[in-house]
Amino acid sequence: MLRIDALSVNYGAVEALKNVSLDVPPGRVTAVIGANGAGKSTLMRTLAGLEKPLAGRGLFNDEDITGSKPEDIVRMGIALVPEGRSTIPDLTVEENLKLGGMWRTHAQRATSLTRVYALFPVLGERRHLRADTLSGGERQQLAIGRALMTGPQALLLDEPSLGLAPLIVTQILELVEHMARDSGLAVLLVEQNAATALRVAKTGIVLNLGEIVKSGPAREIAQDEELRHAYLGY
Amino acid sequence: MIDFIDYLLGGISSGAIIALMALALVLVWRSTRVVNFAQLGQAMFTTYIALTVRELTGSWFLGLIIAMAAGLVVGVIVHFLVIRPVKRLDTSGAIIATFGVLIALEALAAMVWGGDPEAFPPPINNSGYEAFGRIWPFSPYDLLVLASVVFLVLALSVVFTRTNVGLAMRASAFNPEVARLSGVRVNRMLALGWAIAGLVGAVAGVLVAPLSTLSPTSFDIFLVFAFTAAVIGGLDSLVGAVAFGIGTGLVIALVSGYSDSSNAPLVALVLLVLNLLFKPEGVFSHHKARAV
Repeated sequence: MLRIDALSVNYGAVEALKNVSLDVPPGRVTAVIGANGAGKSTLMRTLAGLEKPLAGRGLFNDEDITGSKPEDIVRMGIALVPEGRSTIPDLTVEENLKLGGMWRTHAQRATSLTRVYALFPVLGERRHLRADTLSGGERQQLAIGRALMTGPQALLLDEPSLGLAPLIVTQILELVEHMARDSGLAVLLVEQNAATALRVAKTGIVLNLGEIVKSGPAREIAQDEELRHAYLGY
Repeated sequence: MIDFIDYLLGGISSGAIIALMALALVLVWRSTRVVNFAQLGQAMFTTYIALTVRELTGSWFLGLIIAMAAGLVVGVIVHFLVIRPVKRLDTSGAIIATFGVLIALEALAAMVWGGDPEAFPPPINNSGYEAFGRIWPFSPYDLLVLASVVFLVLALSVVFTRTNVGLAMRASAFNPEVARLSGVRVNRMLALGWAIAGLVGAVAGVLVAPLSTLSPTSFDIFLVFAFTAAVIGGLDSLVGAVAFGIGTGLVIALVSGYSDSSNAPLVALVLLVLNLLFKPEGVFSHHKARAV
């Protein structure tokens, strides 16, 4: 569904990604793990159209998305939940959600909203409160909810565990995994917290200094002691 | 005491107009983080258009409508032709560029309509109401001004809080990146911010013109008052702009009443300095601090 083909991205003078290729199939979670500065966020931001690649392509349903604008990429069906619980604090919970997918029909948006409230009941209870009254975990749910409001086929999750209690992270990621399986959503998850990410993912990809050093079934990667010591630091 | 009431009553309509002007400045600030010093130059230009339409058709109302439409168009033109290209290079450059637009519009207006002040008579009676055996400094025209401002502010708040496009505009102002990732065409929202600011400024111009005369530079002084109100209100708060716009109008009326109207700009400056010293982020601002 989503394919990344020999992608290279420079961040100023730094080579953030070097010749990265990977597949994100539907119906499951693909996890990219690696330490801080491995290029994980750059990968996500480039796929979402926020950064321009130096070389390589992103393909979505065989369509080249490289160089498209973020607002066009999300309309094609790729939604990014950026790092840091990117909700807008001055807007209410429901306004944050309604921001997603404004180009869609009224009926589509109503269906999505019902679905998001069913997935994250706490958002429904707080729909008229400002987003800055929510806890960290609730705000992460809101950020994911807003991405779901765009009716995506592929969901890009950038470091959702950041600053959250482990139990909440596990809950949210398991929910995402169920969603992927039930609705055929392709999920690309980027995490520093490798253990949690590999638990929900089918495929694991280890990124180090902008290069893929290992990819394979998530379970194998999770059990690879050497890999863990060398790149994942636990 | 009766003087005090008279001065306040006399300041209401100019306060309401300053509120509109401050609102226009805030709309532009929110969308592109630029203080548009040409805002009232644009308003002056569209007010001349209103005057021309009025002289041709005899209709004040038609003049107002055409001026509003012209305000939209001029706002969009300034945004696309001047602000966007300059801002790509440098934000402070864009602010300087708005001065350039102001000078250009004043020169253009002088070429088209001449530099002499022109009368812009009020469409309805502008002499004060009579009640309790005396004449109060509040006229039917003041009432029209007040009603127009209230209507426009309410309409804007409905657009901003109850419609999709309003939500998209607010989100684009608060966090353009999140807005784009949600599928909002942010550049269009910014242009729309300039357009609506132009419309609001145009209404302010047509309403304020009868209170003095119309010349290419006659609105310059209002920029001082509107800027003061907008900054004290927090520059990105619509509520702040309206509240302090009216407040500034009343303070100016009191200063002019008790001393002399030429002291008004000085008082505005003092208010601005006090604000920057004690509450630099503005009273209604969303942000914690602002560099000054």
